[in-house]
Parts: sequence; C-alpha cells; structure tokens
Amino acid sequence: MLVYVVNRFLVAFGLLIVVSFLIFALLAISPGSMETTLLGARPATPETIDAIRDEYHLNQPFLVQYWYWARDAAQLDFGRSITSGDTVTHVVQERLPISFALAGYTLLLVLVVGVPLGLLAGIRHGTRADRVITTFTVVGMSAPAFAVGLLLLYVFGVELGWFPVFGAGDGFVDRIHHLTLPAIALALALGALVVRQTRAAALDVMHEDYVTFARARGLSRSRLLGAYALRNVSLPIVTSAGFILILALSGAVLVESVFSLAGVGSLVVESVTTKDVPVVQGVALMLAFYVIVINVLIDLSVMVIDPRTRYSVR
Amino acid sequence: MTVSPEIITESRVDRARLRRLPFLTAVALVVALAVTVAVAFGSLIAPHDPDAQDLILGASGRSAEHWLGTDDLGRDVFSRMIVGARAALLGPLVVAFVTLVIGAPLGLMAGFYGGRVDGAISRGADLIWALPALLVAIVVLGVVDGGYWLTVAVIAFLSLPHMIRLSRSATLVQARLPYIDAVRALGLSGPRIMSRHVFPNVSPTVVATVLLDFVGALIVFSSLAFLGIGFEPGSADWGTMLASGKELLFINPWLLIGPGIAIVLTAASVTLLGDWAYERLSERDA
Amino acid sequence: MSAVSLSTPSSAERSRQDGSSLVVEGLSVTATGAQDTTRRTLVREISFSLEPGATLALVGESGSGKSMTARAILGLLPQNVRATGSARLEDIEIVGARERELRRLRGARLSLLLQDPFTMLNPLQSAFDTVAESLPRSVRRDRPRARDEVERRLLEVGVDPTLAGRRYPFQLSGGMRQRVALAASLAKDPQVLIADEPTTALDVTTQRDILELLAQLQRTRGMSLLLITHDLAVAFSVCDQVLVLYAGSTLEHGPSAVLADEPAHPYTAMLRASSPPANHFVERLEAIPGTVPAADSVANQCAFAERCNWARPICSATYTVAQPVGEGHASACIRVDEIRPELRRLGEAAVGEVRRAATSLGSASALLEVHDLSKSYRTVSLVGKSREVEAVRGVSFRIDAGESLGLVGESGSGKTSIARCILGLSAPEAGRIRLEGTDITDYRALSRTELAQVRASVQIVFQDPYASLNPRLRIGSVLAEAVQARGVKRLDTASEVAELLQLVGLSKDYASRRPRALSGGERQRVAIARALAIQPLLLVCDEPVASLDVSVQAQILELLRDIRRQRSTSMLFITHDLAVVRQMTERVIVLYAGEIVEEGSTADVLDAPQHPYTQRLLASRLD
Repeated sequence: MLVYVVNRFLVAFGLLIVVSFLIFALLAISPGSMETTLLGARPATPETIDAIRDEYHLNQPFLVQYWYWARDAAQLDFGRSITSGDTVTHVVQERLPISFALAGYTLLLVLVVGVPLGLLAGIRHGTRADRVITTFTVVGMSAPAFAVGLLLLYVFGVELGWFPVFGAGDGFVDRIHHLTLPAIALALALGALVVRQTRAAALDVMHEDYVTFARARGLSRSRLLGAYALRNVSLPIVTSAGFILILALSGAVLVESVFSLAGVGSLVVESVTTKDVPVVQGVALMLAFYVIVINVLIDLSVMVIDPRTRYSVR
Repeated sequence: MTVSPEIITESRVDRARLRRLPFLTAVALVVALAVTVAVAFGSLIAPHDPDAQDLILGASGRSAEHWLGTDDLGRDVFSRMIVGARAALLGPLVVAFVTLVIGAPLGLMAGFYGGRVDGAISRGADLIWALPALLVAIVVLGVVDGGYWLTVAVIAFLSLPHMIRLSRSATLVQARLPYIDAVRALGLSGPRIMSRHVFPNVSPTVVATVLLDFVGALIVFSSLAFLGIGFEPGSADWGTMLASGKELLFINPWLLIGPGIAIVLTAASVTLLGDWAYERLSERDA
Repeated sequence: MSAVSLSTPSSAERSRQDGSSLVVEGLSVTATGAQDTTRRTLVREISFSLEPGATLALVGESGSGKSMTARAILGLLPQNVRATGSARLEDIEIVGARERELRRLRGARLSLLLQDPFTMLNPLQSAFDTVAESLPRSVRRDRPRARDEVERRLLEVGVDPTLAGRRYPFQLSGGMRQRVALAASLAKDPQVLIADEPTTALDVTTQRDILELLAQLQRTRGMSLLLITHDLAVAFSVCDQVLVLYAGSTLEHGPSAVLADEPAHPYTAMLRASSPPANHFVERLEAIPGTVPAADSVANQCAFAERCNWARPICSATYTVAQPVGEGHASACIRVDEIRPELRRLGEAAVGEVRRAATSLGSASALLEVHDLSKSYRTVSLVGKSREVEAVRGVSFRIDAGESLGLVGESGSGKTSIARCILGLSAPEAGRIRLEGTDITDYRALSRTELAQVRASVQIVFQDPYASLNPRLRIGSVLAEAVQARGVKRLDTASEVAELLQLVGLSKDYASRRPRALSGGERQRVAIARALAIQPLLLVCDEPVASLDVSVQAQILELLRDIRRQRSTSMLFITHDLAVVRQMTERVIVLYAGEIVEEGSTADVLDAPQHPYTQRLLASRLD
C-alpha cells in the first residue's frame, strides 16, 4: 500500500513537470515576437529590447529558458506582471482571499443543501419529491454559471435590490452579503451535479442486498442512514467531489466576471486578454498544482474510506 | 467544460412509466425542434434584419416593433437571438460529432482489447479529463489567437475523454459476457465483433453521452463567448449577447434575459432528451 | 454417501413454551406496474403454520414466488409489490403493519437470512461490527459485554473471532460470509428464522456444512425454521415439513418423509424423478417438458396442467386449493386418488434401473491432448465483487474421438481456465494443447487456415444462458452468423438455421424472436444450436445446466445426449455436480486447486473414490 502512495506522489510530481513545460511552451506559440509581447506598453527601443532579452534569457536555447523559469517558479518567483509591474506572486496573493472566501461559501452551500437533497431523492425514489428534485437538477446542470449569475444579479440585485451587484465588500458581514449571489450562482450548477451523483449513489445503495439484510435485522433508521447509506454513498461522492472542486474553478472564473469580483478567476481572464504572459504562466501553474493536488487527495481519501482499495490484489 | 460525471442516470427504471412520453420530455422535444428550426432557417424567420443598426434609437426596451427591445447599436434583440442560434450551436454540434466519431471508437477499443491499447488510451484520457476544460480553453485560446475553429478544435479535444471513459466502461461490461466469448470462438475478427455485437449493446450509453457532450460544449462555448475569448466581438451569438447585455442591464434587461433563457432552455432540453434516450434504449435490451 | 436427515429433534426440544407460532393464511403477493395499471400475481393464497421449534421448507423453482413469500412475512417487499391476506406472528398481524412496528419485530422475533453471501454484508464494515450492530441495544451499550457476546456468537457459527473478526467481507470466503451473516441474523435471538436459499451461492462442499450448521442451531436454540430452497433433497434433509410451490400456487404440502416416498402430486413426483441420481447411470433421463409459466397465465386452472403427464381437460379448467389426502398432508391435484399408485411407481422406476454406461464409441486416436497445462491469473479486486484467482498447475489429460470426459471441480479449481485455453480465449503460461495433432497452445501462432480449421473443430456452451446470447440480435441472426462461419452460402442459411432449431427441439418460428422472450432452458438450447452450427468434433460444456431450473435441467442433459448419439460429438463436460457427471460422461477427472487429484472411468471414480476430496464431494450430496 505504501508503494502505491509513493507511486501516486511520483506520478503527480511528474505530471506537474509536464504541465509546467506545456504552460511555458505556450508562450512560444503565441503570435507576435516575444520581445514586444513582454514589453507590453513600454516603448520598444534597442535598450529596452536588450534589457528584456537579458531578463528573460531570450538568447538562450528554449530548454534553458524553461529551466530558469521552472527553477524560479519552484521558489514561487514568477517574475513581474507586465501590466502592473508588481510581482506576480503579490498580484495573486491579493486575489486569493476573495476566491477562497467564494469557494468556501459555495462548498458550504453545495454540501449542506446538495447532499441531503440527493439522499432524499434517492431514498424516496419515484415519489413527487424525487421527481421535483430531479427536474431542478436538470435545469441546474444546463445553466452556465454566468447565465445564472446574471439572472440572479438582475432579479435580486437590480430589481429587488436585496444584494449588491459588484465587488466583494469589506469586513466579514459585508463580504458575506456581497458574496451571497455569486456563491448561489456557482452553487447551483455544482449543486445540481452533487445532487445527481448523490441520488444515483443512494439509489444504488438502497437496492443493495446489504441494506435489505440490515432492515431484516431490525436495525434502527439512524444506523441504516449512517453506517449503511451514507458511508457507502460517500464513496462515489468523494470521487466526484474532486471533479466538482475542479469544475468550481471554471465556474468561479465566470462568476467573478459577472459580479466584478477581484479574485483569481477574473485574474486569469484579465491576464489572458492583456497578454500579460508572466501572470498567465504563474497563475496557470498554480492552478495546475491545485488540480493535481486535489486529484491525489481524492485517491488517498478513497483509500481511507474503502478498505477494499487498500488491499487490492496485484 | 464537460459537465457530466460517470454516473449519468438511475440504475433502476420503472418500465411501464417510460412507455408513454413524459410531459417534460415532450416539452424538451418541442424546444429542441424549435431550436433546430432556428439554426436551419434563422435568417428567414427573424422579423428584422439582425445586423440592421439604428443608431438613433440605440438601446431600448420592449416594444411592439421590437419584441425584446434593441441593443446599443439599435439592432433587434429577438432577431439576433434567433439568428444567434446557429453561431451558438454550430460549435457544440461539431464537438458532439467529433466525440462520437473519434471518442466512441477509442473507448470501444480500449475496453475491448484491454492490455496496452487500453493503457495508452486510458492514461491519455485520464490526463485530459483531470483538467478544468474552461480554464485550459481560456489560457490556450487567449494566448494563441486562432479564431473560431481553433476554439472548436480545443473544446473537442477536451471533450473526448468523457466519451472515451463512458464508452470504455460500457464496453468493459459487455466484453466480459459469454456471448462475446462465444462469438470469438466462432472465429469472428475483433473489429467485426466490436461493430456487430459490442456497439449495439453500448449504444444507449454512447447516444446519451453524445447529447450530454453537446450540452457541455454549449455551456463552454457560451462561457467563452461571454468572456470574449475565442470569438469575434459583435457577432450574433448568445454568449456575446449576454456580455453586452450585462452592460445594458438597466436599459434593456431583455438583451440579457432572452439569450440567457435560450441557452438554459436548449441545454436543459437536450439533457432531458439524453436522459430519456438512455432509459428508453437500455430498457429495450432487458 | 449418507442419506442423513439433518433434523432429528426430540419432542422435548421441539416444544418451547416461550416460542411463537407463525401462522400464514391466504397470503397473496402481487406486483403492480406504474400507476396501478398492470398487476402481476407472484404468490397465490399461500397458507401454512409454523409451530415453535418446527421446520418447514418452501420448495419451488424460479418464478414460484417463494422468495417473495419470505419477504412478505418480514414486510420487506420492494416498492411496487403488495401483500394481501394474513401473516400472524402470535398475536401481531404483519400484513399491513406499520414500519415502526415491523422494525420491532425484525431481528428480535423473526429474522431473515438472504441468499447471496457476497452481497449481504456491508462491504465497509468488519465482521465483528456487523454482528455487534445486530445485538440488542442493552447489550450494545455495554462495550465489554458486547465484545464477549460477539465472540460467543461467532464461535457459535464456527468462525474464529480472533482470526476473522476484524476482517472485511471481501477478505472472507463465501462460506465464512454466510456464517457471519447467520450470526448477525441470530444476534437478537429470534424465535423464527427464515433462510432464503442460504446455500445456493456456495460451493457444494460448503453447502453441506452450512446446512448442518443451520440444522444444529435450529435444534439447540429451539427456534422455528422456514427454509426456502429449489432443491428437494435439501428440503427433505433439513426440514420436517415441506410445501411445494409452483407458479405461485401451493401444489402439495406435508411431512418430508411422506412426500419423499409417496408424493401426492405429479409435480413433486416428477421433480424428484427428473433429478439425475449420482449413484447409477440412467438410460433415459426423466424430464418435465416445457417451462414454468407465469402465475397469471394459469390463474383459473391447475398451474402444472400444461406440463403434466396425467393431465385431463378438467385440470386445465379448474383451480383447486390443496385438499387433505393424509395426516397433515394435502395436495392440489384433482386426480390424486386415481393416480397415486402411478406416482409411487414413478419414484420406484427411477431407482430400479442400474445399467452400465454406454461404451465409448471412439477409436484409440486422441482428439484432444493436454500436456502439463499451467495458467495463473492476477485479478485486482474490483469494488463490489471479488474475483476468484484461478490457477491451473500442470494438468494433463486426453479425450478420444467420440468420448465424453467429465471435468469435476468447484469454483477456484481451474476448470474454466482450462476450457478457455482449449478454446483459445486465453493463453496458458506453460504446457501443450494438441487438437487432432495440431498444436493449439497459442492460437495467435496459428496460420489462417489452421485457425479456421481449429475453430470449426471445437466449440463451447457456457453456463449462464442469460448472458450467452447477444440481447440485440434475433435468434435467427445469431444462428445465421454461426452457420456462415462455417462457410455456408447466404441462400442456404435460412434452411440450415431451421434445421438447427429442430435439432435442439425448437420450432422454426423461434428464429424471429429475441433472447428476451425466451426462457433459460430455451436460450440454452439456442446456445447449443449455435455451438453445433459449425459442426465441431469437440463440444466443451461449461456447467451448461447449473443455472437452469431443476425441471428443465434433465431436458437439456437429454438433448446433449441425443446430439452425442446422432453426431458422435466428443465432449468435455465441466461440472461440479456428480450426478450430472454420472449421466453424461464415460471417464472423469477431478480437479482441486488447479491439479488433478483423481481420474478414471466415471463408474469407478464415483463408486469407489480414492482421493479425500472426491470422497468429500460425494459425501456432500444429500441424496
């Protein structure tokens, strides 16, 4: 088992290297000369061009450039933003709190509302409640986060005026007030997925023999729900949880855009549109790291939950 | 952003209930047909010329002349919405087609042959599947200005793993059954077995997945259009309309609501049809 | 081979004052379609009473409704299934009771043991926890006492708590899992235990152990046992009383001893007669023609009329409830008084014949030679089901032209691996296989012509009739494909297909049907037809009747015999059932853990087994 864990980490690390190389190589495909792109708005005089060449090692072979970049990246030094001149790390750092707050809020909503609804739909399969919930999941899955966001923005922000329509606010309470609509927008699509997954898993579990046998022994409802339903359902849920966490990234980009939140998601869009290469590379790598770590955590969690995976016959 | 995870629908099905078309599915079918008509005959049925500008009028709200009002250049929103269907749905259609024609066979081969073939295909698919599609699309397309068809190619590539995974797991179930062994024992070749025996039995999964891939692609495409990445600005596309709709929110909210609802309705209808198709097709095999 | 009656209770043990009677009266179970549009009867007005300490077996084939009866008594019917009538445990009416009341009853007063030990236990819980959670709350709360109780109960079912207690289900064998489940179901000391086919999913050698355990527990605890089974021999061995169910109707019920010797219903008599014996060869196997009907299609008549040798028009027109024909003995047969002597003679006739097996039709030339075959598997245990790791170690045998060789083994013996290697579906690690002189060890090394010839020489019939046919293709297409593999032209295909269908006893119009519409026995016939389409010299049969109803098994076996007689096809007959081996083969090899432990002529091996494993297999039989 230990071998498997170590192996998993090695694979993850290897993946990170490959992805970082791809991200770096992306720069080379972008149209226009490297120098002008990197100069951005600054004037292109021979001096500045030389300076740029030096700073970014543009005279060196490609792989050497990659090495310099990767080495710096490992120390969390991604250079400076072309647009603002600020260090990339600093730029990202400023944006992180808002994104984290949004992510946390969303996760809370998804778990607290999504999982119970899914369980309810699965356990009470075929009833009215189930059908209503299922219909809502279809709608939730079909609505891109930005469409929902815009709709919420219009109805609750503009028409009803219950919530502010842009920005992230100051202070704890104000922030929650500001982040509610974005969180709901994000939670709707993700929540729909969670509900569907939970429901399917609950359906499967409810029909299993071991549930019938448990009932036949007169076990209490709480025992059935906890040790039987929930625990066995958590397996497929944890696997899809990782998937959802990654989906949340994409959704966050859209939602931050709609509600003008200065988070990491909107940073991605901004830096890409302004071709702020160092920022793009830095953020992309950090996000890749995030994705890979999530995947590893998921695999490890599955091992913790399901004893069968711990002892798989090789 | 491919939306659907491994487990698509419930595993226990009440057969009698499916014999008649459920109300919602009928509605979904109607919507899908309406959208198809818009895609095919858009410019013919639109009340106004979608590109006709009226700079004097500018953005305005609903009126008898303009059912959903006008945008900032005085163009009729309703007409643009109808015509925009084609732009909005062409890409997803191509993506869905690609997943069917490339993804499904790959998945079938991976599941049927196993061994190294499976290893190679699965590993590749898993790698791509783990990535957040929209983000990758944003980064790649933002940096490389390749235009619309590059966008289509990137999204198609990112959508393949979903189909590969699902068709592979459906194939694995079939490939283990004795009827496949029996047919192997008769001496039939691999490709023949896959096309004549395996594929018909995994077609419910494949069909449902194609429809869901379409929905996923639709969502990604409209998201990209909204963000202004990979699309020409000003084109009549639901996503771009939503982007400008945000600006004009206070003047003409319909610029936002119209296309927004169009996206949601189309996506929801196709999802429902996908679910229903899966249940109907798989119950045929008892 | 002992005809052991596993339950011989003394009257003292029998009557327990504190026990409860389970009285079932007119219990009917129906399945309703959506919105109550369609109704399907599963069980029709079953009645019996189970006194404290008594044992009753519900015997029936698939579709008889026996499992549903068990579930109805515990109020555990699936969503769309309803029960009407009455099932009373002492003074409490179960049918229509509220879930809360039922929960109090379940486990504490009556308990249910399910059929499949591989799916019955919570996969994420250890054996210890599964038993612990089933204990009464007062015991559970006291941790040290709970621990002692769990250990005691595991020991009671023959499980070593220190060894297996902390294990998860996937780490335990089928037999162990069943024992743990048994301990859990008895944790609250119920007065009534309903065991639904408790040994069907287990190996033959384990079956006997579990049944003995059940009987012993029943005796020592003085509880009543309702045993659900499809196997008459099991019913007679374990229980005092037997109730025979067929297509939802009760055909006969009474004391085991009486039904075993003097059945009062044609079905019971024919069911007994159609079970092939293991102790001698029978010239012609007594089969019950046809298949088990749906309960609704025989609603107003005797359920068995269509297949009964003694049926008269009146049987197809009247439905009778079982009427008394003796002390505690009732039969639903209208004609029972007339035909009783004939029924008795039926049983006698089967026992009376002792004949030598047909001599081998073959010459000295070997059709198939297997030398030192070895194969090992690595299977990753998937979520949900654990796969047996089959290994074959240095197996050698030969089959001569026209001969039928039996391969006896249980799961994990390697028998399926051997079959797959012969068919080229798997490649062995070591050893040689020769078919008609051609080396077929590695199918991939064969030239195209060699491959075509080999494929035309050996074919296989699998165990599971429900997965042996492509559900999407019509029967005609399935057979046409096989026929064309032989090189037959398109024009002649249709007539060839019709001939094949006739050969396996199916009418021509089966060609246009889909597998879904066919019964298990019919599907197996089609599978046989497909295998024969290519006119092979060697037919490998891998447990071809194990998944079929008892009343249909004899049909298929007799069909295979006919084919052998007509076409002189050699056979490799793989089975765990010694009775089948006796009837279908001339020579036999016994496989255990990948090795041959005994071989010889069928008569010799079965009459005088030398190896302890073979002896154990024979001893596990209950007839």
